[in-house]
Amino acid sequence: MSRIQKHRLIATLLVFNGDVVQTRRFRPTNNVGSAFTAVDFFNTWTVDEIFVLEISKDDAHRVRFEEIVEGLSRRCFVPLTVGGKIRDLDRVRTYTRAGADKIALNTGALERPALIREIAAQFGSQCVVVSIDARRNADMPSGYEAVGDRGRVPSGRDARAWAEEVVSLGAGEILLNEIEHDGDKRGYDLDLVRLISDAVSIPVVAMGGVANWDHLVDGVRQGHAHGVAAGNIFHYTEHSTKKAKEFMAAAGLPVRGTTFYKVAMPRRPAYRPF
Amino acid sequence: MSARRIAVIDYGLANIRSVVNALNCFDVDVTVAENGAALGDAKLIVLPGVGSFDAGMRGLNERGHVEALQRRVVEAGVPYLGICLGMQFVFEGSEEGSAPGLGWVKGRVERFPSGQDQPKVPHVGWNEVEVAPSSKLMAALQSPADFYFVHSYYAPLVCTHGIASGICDYGVQFCAALERDNIAAVQFHPEKSQLGGMKLLETFLQAGA
Repeated sequence: MSRIQKHRLIATLLVFNGDVVQTRRFRPTNNVGSAFTAVDFFNTWTVDEIFVLEISKDDAHRVRFEEIVEGLSRRCFVPLTVGGKIRDLDRVRTYTRAGADKIALNTGALERPALIREIAAQFGSQCVVVSIDARRNADMPSGYEAVGDRGRVPSGRDARAWAEEVVSLGAGEILLNEIEHDGDKRGYDLDLVRLISDAVSIPVVAMGGVANWDHLVDGVRQGHAHGVAAGNIFHYTEHSTKKAKEFMAAAGLPVRGTTFYKVAMPRRPAYRPF
Repeated sequence: MSARRIAVIDYGLANIRSVVNALNCFDVDVTVAENGAALGDAKLIVLPGVGSFDAGMRGLNERGHVEALQRRVVEAGVPYLGICLGMQFVFEGSEEGSAPGLGWVKGRVERFPSGQDQPKVPHVGWNEVEVAPSSKLMAALQSPADFYFVHSYYAPLVCTHGIASGICDYGVQFCAALERDNIAAVQFHPEKSQLGGMKLLETFLQAGA
């Protein structure tokens, strides 16, 4: 029993044109198949939350993505955060109706920061995750710039100043990615993670670049992140999230236990390709 | 033999999809009861809830749920599981508003204190629940058990003496679960608490067998 919140392990699924993909430096590299089989793994093996982000170029795959979210929510028994192409409250409603517990904003917030306040007022701050994609830029006061549109359009905003602004607008959490680290297997950009985590009062989730379990521990210990997220590494390792959790616990970090309970769920939806 | 019928109460404001999704994994026939009449002869009743106390109670009253719950849960003894706001409704009222609650348990729900040295409100995220040895609902779980919480109001332990079956600490110690005869209620979200939460739901469903 404690007031210290446990560090969260988050699995991220990136959906590009209707498929789950791996990415490197924000470009899809390869298709890893069905979101549902991936979530079945995560569910069983002690991940604390699942983030699913739509990263297609345009909105042409909207309906398909909504179907995926709906399907995920039917078999996801941890909090589900959904992001992608959110520019108004309508899309937030669509995602929450489809089963999202939280939504993640990125470009929509950079284009119109007031959107954060509007969503927080309607759904509560705990529902609003602001995703910040940063890149090193020596011209920025903090050394990092926030970049929009899937890491392609520099916003001109200093990443730390933007993080502080989203907090003042009512964001409940920040998901933080450094573009060059994405898929690069070097671990998180710990300078960035620490910079933002120390600057804001809300939880920061580090993402991008995890290639081994040490990287998760580094994100918390050196980066001061509250939550640590990874995608690629979880796709190919059996029991991977359980192993990650056990590694974090062995390193002395407070994390949710990995106790396994056998629950008979005879009618749990089976995997059905569309 | 057809599966036992479980009614999930819909009062128009809460997103009940997650709870329905979770229950649908088990061998039960899940009905969404949009009004009191739809409760029918359900063998189990679940009341999920997110939102404000007064708006929720208004929804329950307008749809005839309050009367139906009194008849089925209090008089007929049908097993009841309240989740989140569905736990807070069983009390006489809440600091959040002025509407009377269902009043099955004496006392009022309170708001977490806010201030510099207090943890942030709302309480969001995984936290540990100390499970009482007397708990039936969580008998299969190791204590402390981890559950997922999203709330700003809580049931004070002073109101749940003898019926609190789970205790959580978030700056103040509060009642995270209570069990009294056929009435059970939890402040956390079992439908979002992975296998531990699903185990709790499975246990509740067996209670109505």
